[in-house]
This record gives sequence, C-alpha cells and structure tokens, in this order.
Amino acid sequence: MDANTQLRDAALPPGFQDDTNAAAAEATYKNPPPEAPETIRTRSWVIASFWIVAIFLGLPLWHATTTIYRAPLPMQEMQNWSEGKLCKTEFPLLVEVEAPPSFPDAESLLKTVQHALDDANDFAAHKPHHLRLRLAAKKAKSATEDPKADKDENVACLLRLLPDSRNGFNHTVHSSSRTVDIHYPPPSSSSQSSISAGLAKFVAEILEVLFWQEQELIEHLLLPQTSNPGSLNALSSQSVDESRDKKTPPARPRALTADINRRMSRVVKYSPSYHLTFSLFTATSTPASWDIESAISQYLTPLLSALSSISNFTISTQVQYYASISSSVTPTYDEQLHAWTLKKEDLSSFINSAEWPLASISNDPNLNFILYIPHPSITPLTIPSALHSDSFLLPQWGGVTILNLDQNPAEHLSHVTLKPAMETFATHLLALLGAPPHPASLPIRLDSLTRQRSAEVLVSASSTLGSLQRLVNALPSISIPATVSTSVKDSIRHLSLACEELRKGSFVKALEMGRVAQEEAEKAFFERTMVAQVYFPDEHKLAVYLPLLGPVSVPLVLGIFREVKRVLAERRTRQGIS
Amino acid sequence: MTPTSLVSRQWLPSSSPPLLQLLSRLLSTLLLFSLAGSTVADTYDETLLLQPLSGQFLLASFNFRSHGPIQAFNKQMFQLFPRSLGQILQYTHTRELHLRFALGRWDSELWGAQPDDGQNAGGTGVELWAWVEADNDVEAEARWTSLNNALSGLFCASLNFIDSTRTIRPVMSFSPTGDYPTTNTTRLFLLHGTLPKEPVCTENLTPFLKLLPCKGKFGISTLLDGHKLFDASFQSMSIDVRPICSATTGECDIEIQQNIDMVLDISRSLQRKDSPVPRPRDQHELICDATKSYGSTEYCYPLDNSFDLPWSLSDLFGKSILGRCPFAVRSDQEVAHVCIAAPKERIVSLPEGSDVTQKTLEDGRRCYTLRDNQPFDVFLPKQEPPTSPHRQEPLLYAERSFTGHGQEHGGVKTVLRNPSTTDAVEVVYLESLPWFMKPYLHTLKAELLPSPPPSAGKDAGKVISELYYRPALDRKRGTQLEAKLVVPPNSVVIMTYDFEKAVLRYTEYPPDANRGFDVASAVITIPPHRRKSDGKFVPATSIRTTSLLLSLPTPDFSMPYNVIIFTSTIMALAFGSIFNLLVRRFVAVDEVQRMNLKATIKGWIGKLSKSKEE
Repeated sequence: MDANTQLRDAALPPGFQDDTNAAAAEATYKNPPPEAPETIRTRSWVIASFWIVAIFLGLPLWHATTTIYRAPLPMQEMQNWSEGKLCKTEFPLLVEVEAPPSFPDAESLLKTVQHALDDANDFAAHKPHHLRLRLAAKKAKSATEDPKADKDENVACLLRLLPDSRNGFNHTVHSSSRTVDIHYPPPSSSSQSSISAGLAKFVAEILEVLFWQEQELIEHLLLPQTSNPGSLNALSSQSVDESRDKKTPPARPRALTADINRRMSRVVKYSPSYHLTFSLFTATSTPASWDIESAISQYLTPLLSALSSISNFTISTQVQYYASISSSVTPTYDEQLHAWTLKKEDLSSFINSAEWPLASISNDPNLNFILYIPHPSITPLTIPSALHSDSFLLPQWGGVTILNLDQNPAEHLSHVTLKPAMETFATHLLALLGAPPHPASLPIRLDSLTRQRSAEVLVSASSTLGSLQRLVNALPSISIPATVSTSVKDSIRHLSLACEELRKGSFVKALEMGRVAQEEAEKAFFERTMVAQVYFPDEHKLAVYLPLLGPVSVPLVLGIFREVKRVLAERRTRQGIS
Repeated sequence: MTPTSLVSRQWLPSSSPPLLQLLSRLLSTLLLFSLAGSTVADTYDETLLLQPLSGQFLLASFNFRSHGPIQAFNKQMFQLFPRSLGQILQYTHTRELHLRFALGRWDSELWGAQPDDGQNAGGTGVELWAWVEADNDVEAEARWTSLNNALSGLFCASLNFIDSTRTIRPVMSFSPTGDYPTTNTTRLFLLHGTLPKEPVCTENLTPFLKLLPCKGKFGISTLLDGHKLFDASFQSMSIDVRPICSATTGECDIEIQQNIDMVLDISRSLQRKDSPVPRPRDQHELICDATKSYGSTEYCYPLDNSFDLPWSLSDLFGKSILGRCPFAVRSDQEVAHVCIAAPKERIVSLPEGSDVTQKTLEDGRRCYTLRDNQPFDVFLPKQEPPTSPHRQEPLLYAERSFTGHGQEHGGVKTVLRNPSTTDAVEVVYLESLPWFMKPYLHTLKAELLPSPPPSAGKDAGKVISELYYRPALDRKRGTQLEAKLVVPPNSVVIMTYDFEKAVLRYTEYPPDANRGFDVASAVITIPPHRRKSDGKFVPATSIRTTSLLLSLPTPDFSMPYNVIIFTSTIMALAFGSIFNLLVRRFVAVDEVQRMNLKATIKGWIGKLSKSKEE
C-alpha cells in the first residue's frame, strides 16, 4: 500500500471504509460493525430516487415554467414568399381594338401586332416577372360578346382605328377615358398589305409607348423580391422598409433606373385611406381666410373621386398666422430677378416643424399641402433653381406652394386666387401616390397606379414575412404569441388570393387582398409582446437560480459520487476475492 | 359670461379690393350656395384683467376666446380654432372638454373668492373632464382613453396616465355648460380624471400658446413667459371647449376659451428684476415697525403693507405688450383689451407719448384698447397710505387634511366654513381617491359647529342630505365619493372619515416611493341658486382644496433578491439535512474514523513532488 491508497482511505468517512482497509486504521478506534446489505441498498435507493425526482420531475417542471412560448410558424412558406417563389406575378392586360367595318381583315392585323409585341417583349426571355399584352380581337360594338371583356375595368385600353386620309399614322389619347384613337391613312386597294403591315407596326409601337413606363416600374418593384434577401444583421437593427430600401437593384440595362428610383422614393406607403391637410401659413395676419372649401370641391374633388377605387381621402384645413419659416432658412435678394430667392438646399428645411402644427391624429397617413404666404418684406419669394419657381414637393410628406401677394393683400383669398395652387397640389398628390406621369389619359394612369400599388403591397407583405422569418430564426429567445401565427397564416392566405386575382386580371380585388396581407404581415411583425423578453440577460437568471441550485446540488452530487465509489470498491474486492 | 357676448360678429374689414370681392361674390353665388357660409369668419376676443389683491399680490387673468360655426368644425375646416385640438375632439367624439393645469394654492383667506367663481380653476396638477358621445359605457371609456393619449401628446403632459383607476364619473358635481339641442343627452358620458402629481411647467405653456391665433407674438399673450408664469404664487391654465347655440336662430357655434390666472407676488417679481438670484434686502430698504418698544437700530421688525408697491407691466413681466392681435379687433367698436381693477384712489399712469385712451367702466375698472404695432405699458406709482383692494368674500372656505398616524390607517378631515351670516350654502363635495386608499364609509361623519340646540329636533344635526359612493376595486378603479350637504350660516361643518392604506406590489411603487402618493383635490361645487336673503342670483361656483400627500408603507426595494437568497438558503438547508439524514451512516463516537490532517497534506505534497520528478 502506498501513500496514495492511504490517503484515499483516510479521506473516506467511516461508513464507506472497506473491511480490508479497516485494519490499517488507527488502533485506538473501534471499527464500526459491517453494514447490513439492506441499509446499503436503501441508501442507494434513496440517492437514486432523489436523482430520479430531480431529473424526471424537477427539470421538466423548470423547463415548463421558464420556457418561452413560440407558436409554430410556417417558416418555409414564409421564406418562399419572401424569395418570390410562390407567386409568379403576372399582369395580363386586355387591349380591345375597335376597327371600322370597312377595315379589311382585322384579325390578321391583330395577329401581326401580337407577334410583334411578343417579339418585342424581351423581358419574357430572361425575367421572371413580365407583363403580357393580350389582344382581344373584336369588331366594333362586340365588347359584350367577349366573355373576358364583360367588365369594363378589365379592359386596360381601347384602341379605335379610324381612317384618316390627311395626316398619315398618328394617335390621340383621350384624357378622360381609356380610349386611344389611331388614325391611319385609308388603304388604297393596291397597297393594302403594306398599309396593314405599317399599321400593325404602328399599333405595336403605341402599345409599347403606353405601357412601357408602368412595365419598367413594376419590374423595378418586383426585382428586389427575387434578389438575395438582406443579411440577418441588417434586419435585426432596421425596420422592414429600411432594409428593403437598402437593397440596391442590380445594374439595369436601361438608363431609367435613376428616374424610377427618384419617383419611387417620393411615393408614400400605400394605405386604403389618406388624410389630406391643407394649411394656409401666412407670415402676417393677412390674408385671414381662404375659400378652401369651394376650391377643394371645384379643383380637387373630381380627382379624389377618380382615385376612390384605390384609396379614400379625408380632408382637413387650417389657417395659421404669424408663421415664420425655419430660422436656418434665409432667403437672399436677387437683383436680376427682383425677388427673394431660396436655394435648393433650403427646401428640405423649409418646414418649421417645431412651430407649425402639422401633426395629425388620424390613423391614416397624413399628406400635408401648404400654401405659404411670405412676409411682405421678403415678397416675392421664389425658388429659381427648382423646376417650378413657386412650389416644391417633399417626398412622402406633401407639397408646398409659395403664394406671393401684392403689398396690400386681400383679407380673403378667393378660390380663383387659389386655383393655380390647387392645381399644383393635385399634381403633387398624384406624384405622392405614385401615379405614372406618362399617358395623358387619367383612367389609364389610374389603372396603372392600381397595378403598381398591388405589386407594391405584394412585395411589401412578402418581404415583411421574410423579415419576420429571419428575425424568428435569429433570436431564439423571443416569444411568439399565437396571434402572430394567425396573422402570418392570414397574410399568406391573402397573398395567394391576391396572386390569383392578379392572374385573373382583376387588379382592384388583388389590391384589396394584398392590402389585407400587408396589414396582417405588419401586425405580426410589430407584435409588441414579442420584444418583451429579449432584454432579460442570462446573468440575471443565473443570479436568481444559483442560491437555490448551488446548495442543493452539492449534497446530491457528492452523494452519487460516494455511491459510485463504493460500488467500484465493492467490485474490486469481489474481483480480488475471486 | 353673458349670453349677449355670444352673438357672432364679423371681423372682416371691408378693405379688400372691390373688384375681387365682387368677383368672388358673383362666383360664390353662381357656383356654390354653401360658400356664403364659409366667408363668415370666426370671432376672437382677448382680455387681460389686472387686479391688485391684498398683501401686495396682483392677479393677472388672461382670457382668450374664439368661436366659429360648428359646421366648419365638423367638416374639419379650421380657421381660428386650433386644428390640432379640433381634430382630437372630432376623432374622440368629445363634445365638451375642460382641461386644467394648476400649481400653487389660492389663499382665499387673504385674496378672497377665486376669479370667475372658480370656474377656471383646477386642482393641483392636471384635471380633465369631458363629455364624450358614445353608444355605451365601454365605447365611452375607449374614446376617453384615446382622448387622454392624444391630449398627452399635444400638451406634453402625462395625461396618458389617466387610466381607469384615476377616472370617475361624477353624478352631482358637474353639468354640461354647452348647448346640445340635437344630441341625445343619454349618449353623452361625463368622465373626470385627475393627475395631482403632474408638475405643470413651461412645456405645457408652449403648446397652450400655440393654440392661440397670434401665438404669443402679438397682443396680450406676449406677456406670457414660462419664467414669469411659473414663478407666480398661484397659477392656473384652463382650456374649455363647448358648443353654444343661439336660442333664436338655432345655429350652433363651437367655442374655445383659454384662460390663465396667475397671482404675482409683487415684491418678489420686482426683486427678480433687480437681481436674478434672491438676496436679502439691504437694511435701508427695510421698513421697520418703529412703534414697537423693543425695536432698535440693530433689530428690525418688518412692517408689511405700509405702502402700495410701485409696479408696471414691464417690471412684473419683463416686457411690455407688443401691438395687438388683429383678430381681437372690431371695426364697429372699441374693444377693451387690458383692464385694471384697482381701487379708485390708486393712480394709473401711462408712459408719455402713448395715445392709448383710457375708459372707466361703471364698476371702476380702467380699460385700454391696444394699438397696432405699439408697445403698451401701464405704471402704478408708489402710493402711501396703501389702498385697500376690493376683496370679495368667498361663499365657502374649505380645508382638507390627513389625521391619524401609522402605516396602516389614517383619516381625512375636511372643514367647510360658511362665512355668511344670513344664508345657508348647499354644496356638493366630490372626492376621487386612489384605490390604495380605502375609506370606511361607516366612519363618515359630518359634525356641525356650533352644534344645534337639542330643541331643534333630531334632524337638525344632519348635514349630509345625499350621498353617492362607488367603492374602489383593487387596481381597477378608485373610490368616488360625492356628498350633498348644507352648511348653515355662520357655522362650520367638519367631515371626517377613516381609511386603510393598502400595501402595493413591488412594481407599483413610483421611483420616489418615499415621497408619498398624491391624492387629488376635493372638488366642492355650489350649484347656481338664488340667495334667500336678498334674492340675488349666484352663479355656479367651485372650490378646490389642496391635494394631499399620502405616505404608504414602503418596502426596502432590494427586498426581492434578499427574499430569493433567504428562501433558497432555507430550502437548501432543509434539503441538505434531510438528504444527509437519509444517506449518512450513524456510528458511535469511538467508531468514527478520524481524519489525519497532517498525513493527508503530507500525502498531497508527496504526490505532487513525485509527479514533478517524473
């Protein structure tokens, strides 16, 4: 026996001493009588039962009471939506052609045009999302015969072929209907086929011109969806919109990306209703009142009712006196123009948000339109560097118009005086809502706005779902309440409905579905209870558990340690004996 | 307010070019009939009343009032009515709103009755009551919550903390001041909330001024400055919005009235002008009471009120009034913007060169009309012997205090004193108590002093005629106690009740828990009545007591962790002993294997050195 064994024996309490080593113990002490096997067995049972209770009752109980509830989410589906795998966004457009009865062989003309369009549609080749222009070949007054064209709104555009001997090929767009008149030189019998070919080319060109801007825009909207979703780090610190904005679309072959970006950056987020605030800010106490009510009803209400299929509008107006522009903005006098001028850089800080009461309580997004009347000492005030010298648009916020009055201004602004300002506001409103500026026809522009908005809500809802999915993956400690799960499921259901409606070509319905999807997705993402647990650090948990678990686990562990030692020693003696 | 002042007046001067006007007239009649209504502008008035009070105090009452057609308000076409507030009222379906911010105590013993019969005063902190239109109670509650949240943002006050525990529905104390000819009054819900702890400060004044059409840039509002206003001995800001309808035409207007009452300590304000930091007065500035036999050149027994202090607007407010607000001007009459209600003997002089006319009203007020772009100032010189300002005896004196001791129970004692020798006063007493202060209703007693003679019958001593009590629910709502009682002439009613202090949860204590909890002011309302002795009509009057500071049993806030440690230790001890009892083997003393400590350590060292050698 070396010191090592001795040491072990000395360290052992008497009850655990082997009988063989007992003789080595000091002689002055008696050896305890050998233990009964039942006692040893009972002791093992006691230790075992304590451990069983701790492991099979204590641990599950602990886990059940401290675990964070995470409702199941359709993660894979969410990811698929965010990657644009589930919905191949299509915008089938129906174009009707009305040919005079005298027109020979309209069918073949349409076929040619369709071919030309399909060839020209170079997006179809390499882009997943594209617009397909279809021609509903119809003779005059046959709209009712076509089952697909039974509803007027499904017709994106009506082309009317009109023979015109004077001017050759040209077209006019009606500003208040979806009709486009196409004038062509009446065919002479000799050159019928060449006229037909020329007409086909011309029609294809016109259709291209009518819709290319919208195509570009929608394509631009849909592109980020298919591109690689933003990194996880970017997501956790930023809101959905920001992270979406950050994603720069890949280089475009067309030079118009910058222009589209500029236009898109102005557009306010889609909402089923907006609140419009018209404010008259005057630097003095005059004019004291304005005819805003009749001005709105005359110059704006027609536009607003035309827009009502997309969004509704509520209106409030106010007059604020003694309103000074921000102190950081100082107009300079220009000798040549005989006017006070504002620099382009000043415009962003023109709004004196500290003093001007422009906040709105309504739940809908608020768009502000401000008519500013400068102080007589700085009248006339102009913005020479801007596109319009007296008005500017603040992206996603509203529009400002400066009205320069003569030295003795009227106490009351009549609606005649307000007319130019209201027209500017109407343009601002359309730009803020994102209506394309191109075709002269308002219905076509509004249709295009509907499609654009549906694409937008689809992209927005899907990317919100994607963000939520990445967030849930990235933060295992956040709780997911059941409401989030239902919202996500609702959102996904409405997304697929919207997708279906799009394929059917009913864009208004698609917009509605998409809006619900977006709302639900956002409700899920911004669920308040999800963030409550995030900032509960592990150190705190440890500090709370340690005073209990420390003292309790030491005897338990020591107990099992001794027991194992005893069993080992027993086995060794048995081996030694045998 | 007299009903005649409610007739809307057009303030649009006819200076606009005739051609344009004609054109607009023509167009308006041709195109839109409703246009005629939209040219009717809102009316606006602003007045400042300066009234010296006894004890060298000065009451400055600012009143701003505008009203316009309710149709434009409903259509959200705002002109003089502030859109920020109007939109909130529309959104929350609030028909009538009363908001009060107050600081300090109105010393009615010294200053007399409150201005405007106390209608513009509020309890310490913030007080808000409103009539909200709703289908049912739940909807009204929801609208009330959103009203509080919106107002909280507008006025930078913690109004969003007015939750269900601080909201009551008074039954007898308040009645609507607006007119509701078309609204079904059963759809109007009155809700009342208080925040006695709210410190009213500059951040509440700034949004208040922004609601004014002239925004503190012109007119009497130029005097309003946070440093001066919140330096006052008493100050109260109020906003009242209500619909008023003409009885003859049935047309309704929406009226917004903004009021600021402040009581300035003249000597303090003048001192502030001389030195921004307070300093003791020099000896030669002191006025000593020489009549005292024990007075000497070394000791001074200051004498108060030996003369009227000289003051001017620019001394007290740091600036003079700048110009006038162009909306508070009528083309057909001179409007009194600033009035001074000083005793007749007191001299009021205007600075030289100002062409402001003075008009003396029947009641002795001297009134002035402001001029465009001209600063306005008045000067009241030093006057000896002092004049005695008119003091109006209040209808009732009210005081409220805590009684009792200890952390468990307490009591509240309210003393109502009727100074009139001839007329009894009927009052409604309203208390809104927090839920953690639980009154025992059976201890509510009202004692009459001097006690009525026994010959007067059993009911003579009964003071409380009606009682409305809604008990508190823990963490859900507070106690509401309303009592209608009569205070006989020249007597005192002492109302007492006991309460129990609840123990709060750990998280319910505010950061400064040892300061105590504020209990909102009691509201004492005297309904409009005709005085019995001389038949004179007395308008509705309200009086507010001071707020109380209730100290609750406050725990040591490191407690939770201590508790965790303690329980854990006890549990670990118990577990350890039981476990050891079950697992250990018990042997006789001489059977114990002694541990040889020396050998053990030697063994360890030997083992270590051996392993090193290897």
